[in-house]
Amino acid sequence: MSIMEYNGGSVVAMVGKGCVAIASDLRLGNQALGISSNFQKIFPITDHIYLGLPGLATDVTTLKEQFRYRVNMYTIKEEREIEPEAFAHLVSSTLYERRFGPFFIEPVMAGLTKKPSGEYKPFIAASDLIGCLNFAKDFVVAGTASSKLFGVAEGLWEPGLEPEDLFETISQTLLNAVDRDAYSGWGAVVHVM
Amino acid sequence: MDSSFAITGKGYAIVAADMTVSRSIVKMQYNEDKIKVLGSHLLMAFSGEPGDTVQFAEYVERNIRLAQIRNTYPLPPPSAASWIRRELADSLRSRSPYSVNLLVAGYDLSTHEPKLYWIDYLGTMATVPFAAHGYGSYFALSLLDRYHDPEATVEEGLATLRRCIDEVSKRLVVTPGKFKVKVVDKNGVREVEL
Amino acid sequence: MASADGGAYSYSLTVFSPSGKLVQIEHALAAVSQGTTSLGIKASNGIVIATEKKSSSILVDDSMIERVAVICPNIGIVYSGMGPDFRVLVARARKSAQAYWKIYGEYPPTRVLTQELANIMQQATHSGGIRPFGVSLLVAGWDVNRGSTLYQVDPSGSYWAWKASAIGKNMVNAKTFLEKRYNDDISLEDAIHTALLTLKEGFEGQMTEKTIEIGVVTVPTEEDLEGWSISSANTRPKPTFRKLTEEEVRDYLAL
Repeated sequence: MSIMEYNGGSVVAMVGKGCVAIASDLRLGNQALGISSNFQKIFPITDHIYLGLPGLATDVTTLKEQFRYRVNMYTIKEEREIEPEAFAHLVSSTLYERRFGPFFIEPVMAGLTKKPSGEYKPFIAASDLIGCLNFAKDFVVAGTASSKLFGVAEGLWEPGLEPEDLFETISQTLLNAVDRDAYSGWGAVVHVM
Repeated sequence: MDSSFAITGKGYAIVAADMTVSRSIVKMQYNEDKIKVLGSHLLMAFSGEPGDTVQFAEYVERNIRLAQIRNTYPLPPPSAASWIRRELADSLRSRSPYSVNLLVAGYDLSTHEPKLYWIDYLGTMATVPFAAHGYGSYFALSLLDRYHDPEATVEEGLATLRRCIDEVSKRLVVTPGKFKVKVVDKNGVREVEL
Repeated sequence: MASADGGAYSYSLTVFSPSGKLVQIEHALAAVSQGTTSLGIKASNGIVIATEKKSSSILVDDSMIERVAVICPNIGIVYSGMGPDFRVLVARARKSAQAYWKIYGEYPPTRVLTQELANIMQQATHSGGIRPFGVSLLVAGWDVNRGSTLYQVDPSGSYWAWKASAIGKNMVNAKTFLEKRYNDDISLEDAIHTALLTLKEGFEGQMTEKTIEIGVVTVPTEEDLEGWSISSANTRPKPTFRKLTEEEVRDYLAL
């Protein structure tokens, strides 16, 4: 039994053309026993950032609260919204603070970065449980169905997807991957920015 | 070995917990109240490591009372549950963690809705329409999947709960014995006989 | 109480006098106004900060004296007042900038670093066993959020944003001079010359590349910004603050 698989749950994020998407299942379990079919693991951070927290459910809530606190303090202190790049580093350093007694969470984030020209650039990133960042250009996956998500996403994703097609791609990727994972499923949620 | 169930319905939540205290294979007591009344509209069923359970429940009880004295108003169910969860989550990574599982049920006077939270000793919290802890959960949850109705009256809710208790009494190797049942609605908390 | 030495309230502890003043802070400001003049001017395409660098003896190796300090690639500061106090603040500011970088993967905006410095200086006015800092600072920097900004921080911990300001011995004259000379669409080149002219006003002795120090903030181009995306590994942002070399200063003086 692994702590990372105790509650189950999976998250995936994908880049599209001028858009990003992030999706997760809604299951909360105790090993094989299902407890809730409405356990949110994706949280809005700003108007342009969403954060997915698959892993141990107690840490999902604790980290959600921790990031809410830190981002609120940042917003007040800097009088601006945090950018996805800076937020990704905040996630990384928050997790690394607990290097030798980690939160059992592998975060996935998706957002839009405002470029100096004014247009928005899609941004996705994932991290391991101690804060090692992975800035992927196509898609990132995490959770108990991650191995399946990798396979399906590799097959379905293509560059330059418009928002509608990106929605379809990420939805089908998630649905088909969690169907092969006993610990994920029980409903799903998709966000497209 | 203890079992506890809770359901929400139209304007109420019901919590039930067995009344047995056992040590090893021996039943030591069969009239223990394992449901704390935390406030006028808040209930908490607790189970887990003997000793930890009562210690933690009393700690919660006093702190919820303190919050009410300090702020004049009682903590609404979501805030109370969130505080309790944080206590367990912090405790989990301390030198001596509490092993206590909880069902927190309340009636939210600001939204006029019943609220039910499933919380385990890790600090995992989920808002649910119905919940169970202990061995009883393996029987009760599937029954509740089939029979739970969010629009049911208190009488119908109690009947559904009765089914769960009967099933556990029938199928579990060690019968839990008597159950204590408490209801919370807009009028507050009351105990009912099944 | 109103005696020249500050009277009964002038000891090391920063306490209120009955009139509501913190005499220690006023003494600190007095220390600042005895210090060499420093100034900063915000231009349309950058900022210049400049100061006199005078040594007490010709025997001092003036290449060792540093009065304009780089805090991080986008922020630099200059001071008037006590050199050792400035050194401590520079060390604290650099540490703070690196701590910020460790968390967010980028350097702090000018305003955040200024607040950090202001907090350190404010704490010195009400902590036990220490005295207020005997310096005023001019903080110049560039960030994506607010562009180029120029701040002044005083020993009390107060800070303001300026279009142009001067601190130190000649500040009153220098400010009057700047008020006459300043306009909103001055270019960085012009601002540097204005800075030199302003310094010249109260300058004792010869103004050379050895006796003044200049730091400039430049605004990055859009292409620069595009290339700085943190996620594209191994690209280091070009510094937006830098100190002018002695050669550059000499060239400006020659004009």
